[in-house]
Amino acid sequence: MPQDRTDLPQGTLDLLILKVVGLEPLHGYAIAQRLEQISRGVVDIQQGTLYPALHRLENRGLLEAEWKDSETGRHSKYYRLTRKGRGQLEAETASWKRLTEAVGLILRATAEEAR
Amino acid sequence: MSWWTRLRQRDRLETELSAELADHIERQVADLVASGVPEGEARRRANLAQGPDKTAEACRDARGTRWLEELGADLRYGWRGLRQRPAFAAVAVLSLALGIGANTALFSIMDSLIRRSLPVRDPESLVMLDGGSWTNPIWEQIRERQHELFEGAAAWGEAEFDLAQGGEARPVQGLWVSGGFFDVFGVPALIGRTILPSDDVRGGGPGGPVVMVSARFWQAQLGSAPDVVGRTLMLDRKPFTIVGVTPPEFFGPEVGVRFDVAVPISAEPVVDAPRNALDHRSWWWLEIHARLKPGQTIEQATQALRAVQPQIRVATLPDRQTPEDLAAYLRDGFQLVPSATGPSALRDRYRLPLLTILAVAGMVLLVACANIANLQLARASERRREFGMRRALGASRLRIARQLLTESLLISALGAGLGLLFARWGSRLLVQRLSSRGNVSLDLPLDAPMLLFTAAVAVATALLFGILPALRAGRSDPQDAVKAQGRGSTDGGKGVSGPLIVAQVALSLVLVVAAGLFLRTLSAITHRNFGFDPEGVLVVSLDAGRSGLPGERLSSFFEQIRDEVAGVPGVAGVGASDVTPVSGSSWQERIEADGRPAPPEPVRAFCHAITPGWLSVYGTRRISGRDFDAADRDGAQPVALVNQAFVRKVFGGENPIGQTIRFMGRPEPQPPIEVVGVVEDAIYRTVREEPTPTAYFPFAQVMVGEIPPYSSLSVRAKSGPPSALAPDIAAAIARVDKNVSLRFRPLADQVGGALVRERLVAILSGFFGALALVLAAIGLFGMTSHAVARRRGEIGVRMALGADASKVVRLMLGRVVLLMGLGVLVGAAISLWASRFVSTLLYGLTPRDPITLAGAAAVLIAVGILAAYLPARRAARIDPAEVLREG
Repeated sequence: MPQDRTDLPQGTLDLLILKVVGLEPLHGYAIAQRLEQISRGVVDIQQGTLYPALHRLENRGLLEAEWKDSETGRHSKYYRLTRKGRGQLEAETASWKRLTEAVGLILRATAEEAR
Repeated sequence: MSWWTRLRQRDRLETELSAELADHIERQVADLVASGVPEGEARRRANLAQGPDKTAEACRDARGTRWLEELGADLRYGWRGLRQRPAFAAVAVLSLALGIGANTALFSIMDSLIRRSLPVRDPESLVMLDGGSWTNPIWEQIRERQHELFEGAAAWGEAEFDLAQGGEARPVQGLWVSGGFFDVFGVPALIGRTILPSDDVRGGGPGGPVVMVSARFWQAQLGSAPDVVGRTLMLDRKPFTIVGVTPPEFFGPEVGVRFDVAVPISAEPVVDAPRNALDHRSWWWLEIHARLKPGQTIEQATQALRAVQPQIRVATLPDRQTPEDLAAYLRDGFQLVPSATGPSALRDRYRLPLLTILAVAGMVLLVACANIANLQLARASERRREFGMRRALGASRLRIARQLLTESLLISALGAGLGLLFARWGSRLLVQRLSSRGNVSLDLPLDAPMLLFTAAVAVATALLFGILPALRAGRSDPQDAVKAQGRGSTDGGKGVSGPLIVAQVALSLVLVVAAGLFLRTLSAITHRNFGFDPEGVLVVSLDAGRSGLPGERLSSFFEQIRDEVAGVPGVAGVGASDVTPVSGSSWQERIEADGRPAPPEPVRAFCHAITPGWLSVYGTRRISGRDFDAADRDGAQPVALVNQAFVRKVFGGENPIGQTIRFMGRPEPQPPIEVVGVVEDAIYRTVREEPTPTAYFPFAQVMVGEIPPYSSLSVRAKSGPPSALAPDIAAAIARVDKNVSLRFRPLADQVGGALVRERLVAILSGFFGALALVLAAIGLFGMTSHAVARRRGEIGVRMALGADASKVVRLMLGRVVLLMGLGVLVGAAISLWASRFVSTLLYGLTPRDPITLAGAAAVLIAVGILAAYLPARRAARIDPAEVLREG
């Protein structure tokens, strides 16, 4: 298990959830697994954070949920992105990109550029 | 999903939540088992990762409905708490219902009487000519100039018409209106058309006399007939053509009076012939309103009117006036005042009484709040363990305070709901009681201002009595949960707030003092010597205006009627007069005695024209001289009787018999009138008046020439209620002339009607004073009971150590007596200060009447000590052995 976990910036968790659910409908356990795998263990979401976030997004109409039987025969609640959720995902992804580029530019700045 | 749906589907969401979280654990366990962890260990780890209920709780928070669920839980819990304490619940809810209800009822009356505008177009630009009523010649002068001066002007006068064809009258409330009245006020016709300027012309309009009826009259008397326009309505036995119906919300131009029919001013001679008020320069019967031009201020309009005042005044000089009076008439400047809320005699008469009762009701509500706050505080100290336990389990201070506030809101909401019902009933009853003859009418809709007021009062009271217990409970210490029950603690009254008790006692004293002042006022008036005996006398008002008799024959006509009525079985005596006491009518004259130095102030005396026998019907005693007799007729020596106040004022207390007096202030020479007798003082216009100079003249001598066709017969019954004589009297009068219009009213009713205001204030303040006493008793009882319960252990120990019963009682009463003493002092100070505002409502005592104050304090203290003594005596019965065994 990787030791260097990073705290997620405020509001980022929602974006990450929207992103992975946007790839395919998933249940809560799979979302946590997926986030951990993709981030190579850096993002480790506690259930106490994940589920309230999922319910909040559902209440805001960005996600919708459906109970389905899975391949293993388990009855699970699957979350899917709504049209509104997709819009939100695109908007937030764009703004995230702008922000990280800006932050990157500033962090890469050399003494010359600043002059 | 809206929060409302989420709230309603709470159970389904809960099931899904558990299933979802269980699913998570199962999947994790499966993964762990697959990676080689034994199942038991896997399950332990998975459960640990989720945390006991932490995740579920966070998810519930995310639903956003928690506050509502908690509110629901608090309400349910509060409701259960109330049901477990039915006595407290009843006292709290009922006292609040009475307090809130009374305030709401008075608010709704005050609102419609004082604040609400007339239901007309743009009431803010309506103004009226200040200074009472005006003559028709003045109105006609203003009417001619109305469009130069204002956008328009209108006049109206009150009237009463008779729908009956003779015999006992069927009165309807009428309105004389100018032709432009409905246009200027901006009131459209509901059906048909309004009265127009073309209807209001001398001699009648093209269609003859017309009438507009109110929506209420149309519904009640005409069965809402759709074809009502064009029908004939008989008013005072004259035909009027109905041209339209006014809208239901328009009650008329005066708040508190509701009209049934409106007829043009110019139709006055139609019903009043052979008289005619239109050209009369001394009959003041019209109110004059104007609508301002856009942008015109009331000052500009007054200035414009003042500019033409000299012409108006000169053209309308009153008849039969002395030069000084005429000069004053010419000088008197016109003044316009706003009339968005319309004039209202009812408002003028009841503003102070209603404000007084509102203040009383407000204080009752405060007393009720103090009472509930104290009961809640006592209760909260009993609940210390409960609150401590909840704190220990993680409830925040705010959460506990909120729970208590919710309980308070529940109590006040229950009180307000009940109070609203009470207010609806009470305000209607109150308005009915404002009128002595059912002629008072006020709209009291259940409207937004009233509901808002009730809600605001409910929230305010909940905060008032709930904030202190909530703060206290919020401060509770988790350690309280583990401490032993409060046994043995010595802070006897800590549950109850001393200042609250002082405030409650003080306000209660003010209320009891107010009740005492008003009840004593009512008693003083009803027990004063009226100068006559109102019981057993029936007043019969006659209107012979439609008999077609010329004025000079009316006097003998009335005498003929009197003689006929005297023959009715059961009649002990009968007399005729122009006016009767406290009837609303009066006749005043300036009178001087011949051969005496003129007094600095001319004496204005009340006058009566009476037939022989009238005084004995009333039971007014003759002090000296003789009564009138049949020989005192027109053409004989004019004579008069005077009362004792007249003798003091005009004759300086000397024997007036044989002296002569004269009417003053008339341009033509007046004959000397010989005083032939002196009678005792009697009230004339109001039940409160001091003895006033009064002169009596023979009906047959005074009622000649231009005399009003209405007079009254006063009939004394031999026994039983005098109104039982009415049918026989009506039949007797019909034998003389069946066209005479009659109204019957017992004299006792007439006098009682003049006491409506006093009786109303006395009854209401008495009721609220008694309520305050009961609440004070409950408060003190509760406080002492609580102290006894808390100090059981201490009392047991004291008694075991030798304290006797009386010492224990004294111990328990000590604080109560101290707080009550402080409260009485504060209350007495407030009473002494506040009573000045009601001095005009009092009679026969001063606002700072010491007997009332001392009596009220004594009653309050007695009730308070008794209320505290009952539980204190219980303390003395504590068995020390039992208490010690408990320890």
